[in-house]
Amino acid sequence: MKKGTLILTALMLLTVLILPGRGTAEAAPTQLVIYEGPKTMTSSETAEVSVNGYELFVYDVMVNHKHIWDANVQPTSTPMTYFDFEGKARIEIRMPGLTEKVESAAVQPYSLGIEPEVKDGTVSFLISDPGQYTVVFNGNVNKALHIFANPLETDVPDPEDPDVFWIGPGEWVMDAIALQDHQTLYLSGGAVLHSIISVANADGVRICGRGMIDGSDYPAWNQAGSYARVPIDLNHSKNVRVEGISIVNSNCWNVNSYSSKNVTIDNVKVISGRQNGDGFTFQSCTDHLVTNCFARTWDDSLVIKNYSGSTKGITFRDMQVWTDLAQSMEIGYETDKGLTLDPEISDVLFENVTVLYNFHKPVISIHNSDDAWVHDITYRNITVENAFMQGDNGFNKELIEMTLQNSSWSTVRDEFGKTSDVLIDGLTVINTETGKIPASRMSGVSEDNMISNVTLRNVNILGQKMTTLKEMKLSTDDYCEGITVE
Amino acid sequence: MKKMTCLLAVLTLLAGLALPGCSRGEENIKTIVTVVPAPEQTRAERPPCFPDPADDYIPLPETENLAEGKPAETGAHTDVYVGKNINDGKTDTYWESKGFPAEVTFDLQGTYTVSTVAVCLNPSSIWEPRIQEIAVAVSTDGENFTEAAPAEKYQFDSATGNRIRIDFAPAEAAYVRVIFTMNSSSRTGGAQAAEIGIYE
Repeated sequence: MKKGTLILTALMLLTVLILPGRGTAEAAPTQLVIYEGPKTMTSSETAEVSVNGYELFVYDVMVNHKHIWDANVQPTSTPMTYFDFEGKARIEIRMPGLTEKVESAAVQPYSLGIEPEVKDGTVSFLISDPGQYTVVFNGNVNKALHIFANPLETDVPDPEDPDVFWIGPGEWVMDAIALQDHQTLYLSGGAVLHSIISVANADGVRICGRGMIDGSDYPAWNQAGSYARVPIDLNHSKNVRVEGISIVNSNCWNVNSYSSKNVTIDNVKVISGRQNGDGFTFQSCTDHLVTNCFARTWDDSLVIKNYSGSTKGITFRDMQVWTDLAQSMEIGYETDKGLTLDPEISDVLFENVTVLYNFHKPVISIHNSDDAWVHDITYRNITVENAFMQGDNGFNKELIEMTLQNSSWSTVRDEFGKTSDVLIDGLTVINTETGKIPASRMSGVSEDNMISNVTLRNVNILGQKMTTLKEMKLSTDDYCEGITVE
Repeated sequence: MKKMTCLLAVLTLLAGLALPGCSRGEENIKTIVTVVPAPEQTRAERPPCFPDPADDYIPLPETENLAEGKPAETGAHTDVYVGKNINDGKTDTYWESKGFPAEVTFDLQGTYTVSTVAVCLNPSSIWEPRIQEIAVAVSTDGENFTEAAPAEKYQFDSATGNRIRIDFAPAEAAYVRVIFTMNSSSRTGGAQAAEIGIYE
């Protein structure tokens, strides 16, 4: 008996040694939730992804590598997958869809400091924090893999609640879903929903889950016979929460809010590759918080406009952005499309925004193209990992652009507004296409229509701290004042 | 020694089974995994939490609609809501009469034994519930009509497809006249119909 006990003890000790992670009492196991893809769909042939040895379903979603406007260009695709976890997750990736063997890989954001191992064409790395991870193979953004590692779900709504619409895993289709006061739509992980969600004149609506809204069943909105099917459309609503879901393949823009207030958008991931595929776009809204979200878009990623009154109190915080077309953080061009009295856009904060790639127009832009007063705009801790602005035929290649001007989007053409009190505090540019500092530009219209009091603080481009406008290649005209670099 | 090896193998196997997430990487990670399964499907379906309202629609006969595309006289109409909309096969267009009573007379271009008339509005819920009073008369020569269904008030409700069905004793008819005498909607002073169907 003693001998048996001894053997058992020895074996248990041996087992502990064999299985690291059990060796310390405090090492809690990783909690992992993975979702089967719909039985009507097949996992991507481009990418194979596993987490802690468990294979994930990988979706091919539309993106667009043409970095100039084209009304008819067709999107291509890139792989995307997701799971939920708490603890440690070792991600392994194989890319059978690439024609060349994977010899190198980079995980973005770079600030995470992840150096993936590449061995025999397999890429692996360890993560311990939920977040959005993008993997670029062989230094080529084609077929970059987006991994959305969500936190474990909390506050899951009760499916028995009569005000809860519960959509489980699987592929689902219906023309449109209209949510009313205090209703909740839960879209489970593993769900692919071909529909649009409208929240009009409603209070207290919640949209949550881990599933996807997929607009691939409709042609691009600008094509003959089609029309815009906005995946999330808030209109004159208040106290709305959108959480956890992904939005892919939209045939137009993605998360739209119009004249709404007190809206929170958390951990929502957008990938779009079709015409006018703006990411998060708000018109004449107040008190919106967008946080922990991801936007890879084929038009402006984060957008604020005035369509029927003023905008006030918009925060984008802890965001990742990949902009294949247009601007990453755009205010304008429309700043008074509703032709209202004394329109303003104010109290806007972009904070902790990482721009993975910006391929087309300026990263930071205020295009006051009507007659609004745009003021108290703050950009804090902005990191541009790859500022590759190719512009439009030589124009709009700036890093930062602030203008008062008429444009094709102007509604008010005989009057202009003004832009004032803008702070950029913490702007880091890691790479540019040419290896040179990109230009920036500010331009007013008259002494009554100026750009004033713009402070650029802690700006670092290509490892060089900027101390003067000249260093920044920032041009101003006679109608700019108080533009300083600190 | 063999016994010990055997025990070790079993124990390791058991540990492995308990920890299926151990990776092949350098670091084994103890993992408790939840796999959320997908349902068996062969095509995208309507989410069950949104029952198809068509399931509650008032059923129409599955036989041929004798009215569709046939000549129809409707009298004066309101605005652009012309008579040809009444049997064009589409419920997103409609006819609206100019006042009451309003009659629609169909030439079936043949003699049939008819027993059902259906009156449909647009099924969208933006068409609020309303009541219309309707009667049906039939004729074999287009001159002399006899009553097939007396005037009755019918409830139109989007929950049931915004459609009503008038069933009557089978009658020989080459012409069918549908007579509207009231509409409760506050939005109009006339009769409304997106489609009128006639069935054997």
